[in-house]
Parts: sequence; structure tokens; C-alpha cells
Amino acid sequence: MRAGYLSTVQAGFFAIALALLAFIFLVLAGMVLYPPFDALVRSLQSEEILFAIGLSLVTSVISTGLCALVAIPVAYSLARGTFPGKRAATILLNVPMALPPLVAGVALLIFFGPSSIGQFLENIGISVVFTPLGIIVALFFVNVPYLIRILRSTFEDINPRFEHVARTLGCSEWRSFRRTTLPLAKRGLFAGLVITWSKCIGEFGAVLILAGATRLKTETLPIALFLNMSTGDIELAIAAAIILIAISIASLLVLEYFAGESRFV
Amino acid sequence: MVLEIRNLEKRLGDFALHNISLTIGEGEYFMVLGPTGAGKTVLLETIAGIIKPESGNIFLFGRDITVLPPEERGFSIVYQDFMLFPHLTVFENIAFGLREQRLPFPELRDRVTGISELLGISDLLERAPHTLSGGEQQRAAMARALVMRPRILLLDEPMSALDAASRIRLRQELKRIHRNTGTTVIHITHYFEDLFPLADRLAVMQDGAIVQVGTPEEIFNQPESDFVAHFTGMENIFRGSAVRRGDEVEIDLGPIVLHAVTPLEGDVIAGIRADELILSPEPFDSTARNTFRGTVSEIQANGVFSRVVVDVGVPMCGIITRQSLFRLGLTPGQEITVIFKASAVHVFPA
Repeated sequence: MRAGYLSTVQAGFFAIALALLAFIFLVLAGMVLYPPFDALVRSLQSEEILFAIGLSLVTSVISTGLCALVAIPVAYSLARGTFPGKRAATILLNVPMALPPLVAGVALLIFFGPSSIGQFLENIGISVVFTPLGIIVALFFVNVPYLIRILRSTFEDINPRFEHVARTLGCSEWRSFRRTTLPLAKRGLFAGLVITWSKCIGEFGAVLILAGATRLKTETLPIALFLNMSTGDIELAIAAAIILIAISIASLLVLEYFAGESRFV
Repeated sequence: MVLEIRNLEKRLGDFALHNISLTIGEGEYFMVLGPTGAGKTVLLETIAGIIKPESGNIFLFGRDITVLPPEERGFSIVYQDFMLFPHLTVFENIAFGLREQRLPFPELRDRVTGISELLGISDLLERAPHTLSGGEQQRAAMARALVMRPRILLLDEPMSALDAASRIRLRQELKRIHRNTGTTVIHITHYFEDLFPLADRLAVMQDGAIVQVGTPEEIFNQPESDFVAHFTGMENIFRGSAVRRGDEVEIDLGPIVLHAVTPLEGDVIAGIRADELILSPEPFDSTARNTFRGTVSEIQANGVFSRVVVDVGVPMCGIITRQSLFRLGLTPGQEITVIFKASAVHVFPA
């Protein structure tokens, strides 16, 4: 075997990789190219798709923001604190992530629907079931554990002594977190938010059960895809799918770009 | 008195600080010496207010500050790994505490440039911390601490991340800074060499407790326990039983009997510093009370000094210069006389 040539095994593995790449590419390209181009453009501009884009953006951004508000303090206390029941809390926090989203959706539906808490919320005018608010709640419930996990390991990687030094330099507890750990967690936080947001955009099962699939009411992009597939409106379904693909690829690129940049070694 | 620590106790997992009591004077350079794991950093962080003690009190100028948060104590800390904030320039690192005080920028800038000149890092201010050498990072961390004009400067092994040459330079630097600023310093170290050039007084720590406090000379010359003796470089340590004979005490080690001056009797530990042994190829008469014949069992030449181990029934280690080694022509197996004074035998309770 001369140098510069692949061994038989390497060549075999390489061929499998190539075949896989071709498969992924053909599957995606095939779908994008399936409908006639002008029909696709028309679908992308249709009221329904524009509504789905708008609703997906609004609900995913609000949910991601809520996830961040909750995940930052929770992840920080799990990373830094020692308290009884920490292990149990960690396991419980991971449950929504391990559940099939449909199951999470059913549990949420019962909690916010017939349960006394659900009834109470309904009575004070907060209705979650089959409403856009339900989308936000479902997205929050299934995605906040991921963000906590990411942020926890980010915080664990930051030496607590940065805060100790900041304290002796005159910072209160909150100020020392704000001025050292938080900026040092910037990369992990950013990556976590991008991942959370893109998972929010793509979430289907939990949203379907809790918020329902009402056309032009709780119709996010995945719901639009589902509704139009079931009614045979293939162009509209594919239009929704293309936007979802574009968002996935864009978030991948953003993550790649920031993962490659290592400012804080 | 600046700082008084009374009966401090703290448990942290398997580790505990036991009944720590210390007083530190105004402008004093106080060192805490002890092996790794003795609890030196825990003590320092407790003084800083980062760790809350379970019981005991800390007084600053007579005021009880035991529960005061770190930001209200006015102490600065420098850790051994410097802990410069990686997301800030050197300038912003030094200015960190002043920014928290919302100092007007012109004054802030003057304070930062002033302290940077004192430490010789004026041309590094725009750099990112990770581009600095160990010694430069050390100076930047020191500047960040000193610019606050701390009531007490807490140093946690500030030299252990440096190479030997930087360490020597930094020791002189610390001495100069301490002289110029008059800051009270509590400095933790496990390097015995740091003590003499720097410390006014020191405490020796072992297993979370303070075992001796004194000037370096007192600790070195009158170690109160075999741990302190060992830790301060006493090479010859023996167990024996002491019996009083007039002014003197005879300590029976089994193979040989030492003459010592001590109030102790019974089971004791006797320590003799290697540099207090006199080695002579010929037996000779002297006023020294301890004279033994033995054979050279080992010679270790390292640098200017050589260690010579002589078997006189027990192994005794002496230190002589390379010159003396040549002049005496010592070789392993050679018969030799070991001489030392009764006062060179330090006796501790066993």
C-alpha cells in the first residue's frame, strides 16, 4: 500500500459517508424541487404561511425568553449550590426532556384544562388550552430543561473564584454574578438560546395537544405543515417545510460560527 | 491591632478549621505556613468573608465583622492562579473595583496608572490577560488588589505559579510594596524560603489548626513540635526517652545517647538541624557535648551544599559546602566524627 492512497477499509468507510451525504442531500432537495416553482412562491406568500411564520416567530421568541429567565437562575444554583435534594431536583428537571412531546402535551392539557388549577386560571381569564398562549407554555415546558442543562455545564466551567475576587473588590452577590460569571457565560448562553429557539420553532407534538391545530389561530409552521399535508395541499406543506429547513440550517451555521470562535480559553 | 480572630471553627466536608485564634498588627506582614491541605486557603477565604465560619469571631479594629459580607470588609485577595477576568483588558481588570465605586473617570484613570507604574505594568494596560506571562499576570492581579487601598491584602500562595527566578524577583517586589504602602498583609505559602525575607511573624498550620505562631527566627530556632521542626527543614528527628542529669538531659535513642538542654523528660522527640552538625575525619576534643564516631553511608552533592549521611548507630544528616567535601576528601564507608552542641538538640514532647 503506497502512501497517499486510501486503504480498502478507509475507502469503504469513505464510500458509506459519501452515500449518506448524497442521501441527505437528495431527500431535502427532492422535496424542495417537487412542487412547481411558481406554485411554491405563491404558497410562501399565502396568508396562511405568513401567519404561521409570524406566530412561530412570536411564540418561539417569547418562549425562549421565558426559558432564559428561568434557566439562568436554576442552572446557576444547580452549578454552584449545595442543597439537600439536588440530585432528585436534577432528575426531575430532566423528565420533560426525556418524555415524548405528545405525553408532555397530554399532561399539560390535563393540568391547564380540567384540573382545579386549570379551572382557576380559566376563571381569572387565563386560558391556555387551544390558544396561542398554550403554544408558549408547551414550548417552555419541553425546552427549558435543555437550556438548564447547557447553562449548568457552562456555569460549572467558570471558576467561582472570579466572583470571590469581585466580591472583595466591592461587588454585591448579584453585581459580582452580573459582572463576572454572566459575561463569561456569554458563549454558552448564546449557543443555548439559539438551540432553544430553533427547537421551539420545530416543536410539534406538545403544541399539537395543548394548543390544538386551529387554522389561522394556533397554526405554527410545523402545525401548518401537518394541516396542509392532511388536506393534500402539498405546496403549502412544502412551503412550511422549506422555511423550517432554512431556519435549521441558519441556526446550525450560527452555532458553528460561534463554536469555532474561542475567545475565552 | 488590625485583625483579631477568636476561636474560629469551620467544617467543609471532611476538612475542618479548628479553634483558630490569631492577632495581626497594623502594617504587619503576617505569613501562614503549612503543607497542602492544611486549610490555609479556607482560613484566608474565611477572613475575606467568602466562607462563613460556624463559630468564632473576627474583629477588625475591634469591630465584629464575622458576618459582614466580603464587599464591606475592604480586604483584597490575590489567588495563586491570579483570577484575572478574561473578558476584560488589564486596565479594566485593575479598574474593576473602582468602577463599582463609580469613581469619576479622570480619578479612576489616575489611580490605575499610578498603581501600574508602581508595579511596572504601565505598557500592558490594553492587553488581554491571557497574553501576559505568569509574572505579568501576577503583577496585574496585585495591582487590581492594591488599587483598592485595602485594609488588609490577602495573598493565597501568590508565587506558586511562577518560576524560580520570577519568585525571587516577586519576593523583593512584595517587600518593596509592603514598605511603600504600609498595607497589612496576610500571605499564605508552603515555601519556607518566602519567610525570612518577608514575614514579620508567621503561623504554622497543620490539619486545620494553628500549631505555632512567632517570628521566623523563633519558629526556626525553637520549633514547638516535631511537625514544625520537620516542616521548617529539620533533617534529623529521633524518638527517645529523656532522663535528667543535673543541668542536662540525656536522651536515650537506643544505639546512642544525646545530651540536650530541655525542661522535658520521658518520651520525647529530638531534632537537630543538618547545618548544626560538625563533621571531622579525626576525633577531636571540644566543648560540644555530643561527639559520635560513625561511617559515611551516603554523600549527595547538589549545588554549593552537599548532604552527608553518617551512620553513628542512627543515621545523621549533615550539610557541608562542596569545598569542605573536597578538602576533607570524604568517601562513603569512611570513619568520621560527628559533633554538635547540647543546645543544638531541639526537644519536643512525643
